[in-house]
Amino acid sequence: MITVERVTRTFGTPAGDFTAVREVSFRVAAGRFVSLVGPSGCGKTTLLGMIAGLVPVSEGRILLGDRAVIGGVPPDIGYLFQRDALLPWKTALQNVALPLTIRGRPVAETRARATEWLRRVGLAGFESYYPHQLSGGMRKRVSLATTLIYGPSVLLMDEPFSALDVQTRNLMENELLELWAETRNTVLFITHDLEEAIALSDEVIVLTAGPGRVKASYPIPLPRPRNVVEIRFHAEFTRLYEQIWKDLRDEVQQSYARATSR
Amino acid sequence: MPARRVADRLRLAAGRITVLVAIAAAWEAGTRIGVIDPYFVSRPTKLAVTVGGWFAGGFIYPHIWATVQEAVIGLAVGIAGGVLIGMLFAFFPFLSALFHPLMVVFNATPRIALAPLFIVWLGIGLASKVAMVVSLVFFIIFFSTYAGLRDVDVNLINHVRVMGGTRRDLMRHVLLPSALTWIFASLRACVGFAVIGAIIGEYLGADRGIGWIVQYGESMFDSNMVIAGLLVLMAFVATLDGSLGWLESRFSHWKQKPL
Repeated sequence: MITVERVTRTFGTPAGDFTAVREVSFRVAAGRFVSLVGPSGCGKTTLLGMIAGLVPVSEGRILLGDRAVIGGVPPDIGYLFQRDALLPWKTALQNVALPLTIRGRPVAETRARATEWLRRVGLAGFESYYPHQLSGGMRKRVSLATTLIYGPSVLLMDEPFSALDVQTRNLMENELLELWAETRNTVLFITHDLEEAIALSDEVIVLTAGPGRVKASYPIPLPRPRNVVEIRFHAEFTRLYEQIWKDLRDEVQQSYARATSR
Repeated sequence: MPARRVADRLRLAAGRITVLVAIAAAWEAGTRIGVIDPYFVSRPTKLAVTVGGWFAGGFIYPHIWATVQEAVIGLAVGIAGGVLIGMLFAFFPFLSALFHPLMVVFNATPRIALAPLFIVWLGIGLASKVAMVVSLVFFIIFFSTYAGLRDVDVNLINHVRVMGGTRRDLMRHVLLPSALTWIFASLRACVGFAVIGAIIGEYLGADRGIGWIVQYGESMFDSNMVIAGLLVLMAFVATLDGSLGWLESRFSHWKQKPL
């Protein structure tokens, strides 16, 4: 379970203090898939960074289970970055194996499990390819396998598919849901795409334009298993979309107005 | 390799040889018909006899060996020192802030001006040439290591931290490989500078080495010997650079080739 309690993050900048998120509180129950949506610049990435222990919290606190996240990366956490974070000097197999290598697992076991994970994300045969030899979608698959191989109970995803073309993106979203149905880790997924958020999640949390605060939270009672493309034809999907969009629209407009008046 | 590319390569090699032969022929002809004075520039046939004689008679080997020794030892010391100090500076920003201006000033000093000092301090033997080489190589490697460690993509560091990586894991899987790519990129330049350093050192005061041959030839007003020495030097550097290029391509296999 992820608990975020009245969390504020302020950065000192040459122009004075800048508040990225202000008094944000929410909870993600264990095994749930929750999305955070909000306009660009609402502090979504900062929030994820704080949960991962990469960015210190200015005020408030964050708990993973019953352990507070203080002074470092908590164990048992996975993070899928927006930009590729694969090590360019390691092959696909070596990249996927890295979390196990770091944990000192036996070489044979590490190799076997990494090979198996590459196969599960549809990249059997690409073991010895370097990241630059793979397409954007393939690199995302390698990243996903790298994150899932050590079975973190909490998975943080920062707009992982935003750089992909629509078809690849829908494929990846479906694959993610299939993998998640097996692993059932707690997922906090960041996106600015409301359709993606509704299609994937059990709950959608809307953040306000920066400094981000929680504006509203919506349960998504759509049936699972889902196909992210077909679920959009569901009547309930359209109703939820309209309802949440009303909230989000104001924030997007405000964020846009601010960005253009600068 | 496809046949087409083999043919392209052969054609290129043939073209290069033709250029060399043409230059040598013009040179030879020029000295024969009296347009150029062979006293100043010698002539290809005479040079071939001289250089061939050096290799056949064994005269040249101790000199090549001396230059190789100076360059290789200097290279090893310079690389080790540059990597070490570069790492220290990257990990302790205070050290870097303290010494950085000094490093920049030393790096900007023309090393040829230091050569006489090295000879006064360390004698005309091996040590002064090694010092000369180190003074050139060290700074190149130092700045590459420093930049390689400082310019690591934060995303990569976070990626490894989140999966449970310790400082040691970061060092081994992210920082060192990143620095290595920078170091490798400058290694080729370093080898060139190492040879230059050794030659300058020999030129200014030594009793052996390829640089000494050139210098000795000059003191005897023997342009044939000077040019023959330079030819040996060129062949030597070309061989070295070629083997380094081959080595480099083997170690950067993970890199994207430019389109």
